[in-house]
Amino acid sequence: MNETGKKILIVDDEQDVVRWLSILFRENGYHTEWAYDGREGFEKAEASPPDLITLDVSMPRESGIKMYGNLLKSEVTADIPVIMVTVASPKLEEFLGRLKTKKAPAGFFEKPIDKDELLKKVRELIG
Amino acid sequence: MKTDARSAAPRRLMDIVHAALFEEIPFNVAVIDRDYNIAAANSSFTDRFGDWQGKKCYEVYKKLHQPCDECPSVQVFETGKTIVADAVGIDQHGKPTHYVGHVAPLRLTEDGPVDYVLEMTRTVTGTRSWQQEYQILFDRVPCYITVIDKDYRIVRANEAFRHSFGDVLNRYCYEVYKRRKSKCPNCPAARTFRDSKVHNSNQVGTDRRGHDVHYQVTTSPLARTGDQVGHVIEISTDVTAVRKLERDVVEVERLAAVGQTVAGLAHSIKNILMGLEGGKYIVSLGLKKGDEEMVNEGWEMVERNFAKTTTLVKDFLSFSKGRLPQLQMVNPATLVNEIVDLYKDITARSGITLRSEIAEHVRRAPLDPDGIHTCLTNLVSNAIDACQMGEQKGSEVVIRVHEKGEKLVFEVADNGCGIDYEIKQKVFTTFFTTKGGEGTGLGLLTTRKIVQEHGGKIVLESEKGQGAHFRMEFPRKRLMTLWREGHGKQSSQTKQVRS
Repeated sequence: MNETGKKILIVDDEQDVVRWLSILFRENGYHTEWAYDGREGFEKAEASPPDLITLDVSMPRESGIKMYGNLLKSEVTADIPVIMVTVASPKLEEFLGRLKTKKAPAGFFEKPIDKDELLKKVRELIG
Repeated sequence: MKTDARSAAPRRLMDIVHAALFEEIPFNVAVIDRDYNIAAANSSFTDRFGDWQGKKCYEVYKKLHQPCDECPSVQVFETGKTIVADAVGIDQHGKPTHYVGHVAPLRLTEDGPVDYVLEMTRTVTGTRSWQQEYQILFDRVPCYITVIDKDYRIVRANEAFRHSFGDVLNRYCYEVYKRRKSKCPNCPAARTFRDSKVHNSNQVGTDRRGHDVHYQVTTSPLARTGDQVGHVIEISTDVTAVRKLERDVVEVERLAAVGQTVAGLAHSIKNILMGLEGGKYIVSLGLKKGDEEMVNEGWEMVERNFAKTTTLVKDFLSFSKGRLPQLQMVNPATLVNEIVDLYKDITARSGITLRSEIAEHVRRAPLDPDGIHTCLTNLVSNAIDACQMGEQKGSEVVIRVHEKGEKLVFEVADNGCGIDYEIKQKVFTTFFTTKGGEGTGLGLLTTRKIVQEHGGKIVLESEKGQGAHFRMEFPRKRLMTLWREGHGKQSSQTKQVRS
């Protein structure tokens, strides 16, 4: 697989998900970085902006909802495309409700994901 | 020898007294002959009804042109006996005036016929207005009001009551309210008759169609202070609709809980499926590349998520099945020591100090050892996680057992990351977890369930960053009751209750 030179930040509290997505993206020519909660994810995104972020919603310490809000507020991270990868839950509905006046994420994928569809979306967004 | 005061007084004096009485007495006084003519009247009467000279009583009292239908004076002329009567007349200004009074016979000769009647009336227009207002209040108030006598017969009932129950006067209240043939065993009115106090109770009656009606009943004595209660006023509110709403709310909450449980279960399963999917992908990729290390990594992921499935199912079943505690007389200290043995290696590896504090004189207690083991395991496991998340040096988990009054108390305290207010509200909620995929969200819920099955309660004290302190309190009286009820005697048998 050709190197794309693009970096994806995976933010999820489940190590297995992080590991799987990390291998999946790496095998398809992307560099990866990861974080296990929203706070750590935002810090990493701001310190070294990735080309794309996959973001879970329900996480300890700081949720994906909070992190998405922080990403939009920061000039450094506001334009990074975000793909939500999460279990459909009341939290997700709450999240969608809050987005009415804000910029919506670039994509939504419900766990368990279809890896081919996810890769297709990633390529569509960052090549 | 007895002296008659009237006869002893000079006749002149008595005349003066009579004249003064006639004039000054605070009543409207009129003397009427057999032809309805007013022969005499005092100034109070004149002030009320106006000029009466040469007029008939019905003309003056009621501004009529013929005698009243039920004339009390005629009655007194006929019977020769004093009567009390009330009536509504028209005063000299044309306004209705309510009055009550005595109508007494007057004879010019001691044994002769009744020549005149003496009408002494008092205007009660104000009092009548009040009575009418109270009557309206009594009738229109949106609840049932009855007055019952000592035989439990209804002697008065308001409009609402009459509307719902029909003509009930002189019927027994238990017959009307509950279609019973004898007094109710928990009658609040009986208590009020006995102690002259107000009592409140909830009662279930039967309406005319035989349907259950729920009442909130207040009984109050109808007597002046110090008098024996002759009647009780019974005020009942039909709360059937409220009870139905309460039942509906419980049903809605139950359905919401079912929904929440299903959603939580689906959430956990989806996460596990994601892990299995990931493991499958990595194994497959490893095989394709001939990378044994990758195959192993993927396979471990599959195994890990398979184990999560087992844990989830086990926890879920443990939580969902209604189970009576299988009580045995055990030493609480032994249970604590078992947990310390179980976790001492894990905590040592993580640099966490695990210790127990067992108070002296902790007595044996009837407990379900497996249940308490599960509770302590859940709490200690959470405490270890909290210490690891707290990332502070000198982490410590302490398990305590002691007696507090009549309660046996287990405590698990840590100095880990603590729990903030928002999370504290959710820790006993189905499938709530702060551990991501590592937790099933059922541990604390199961713990609380086991504690409650023992008749106890679990309390959490924690502030974010200040550690957490879980306390399980078991009232010994309740434990002994459960023990006596025979749960302990059949400890070898698993008893299930339908949930």
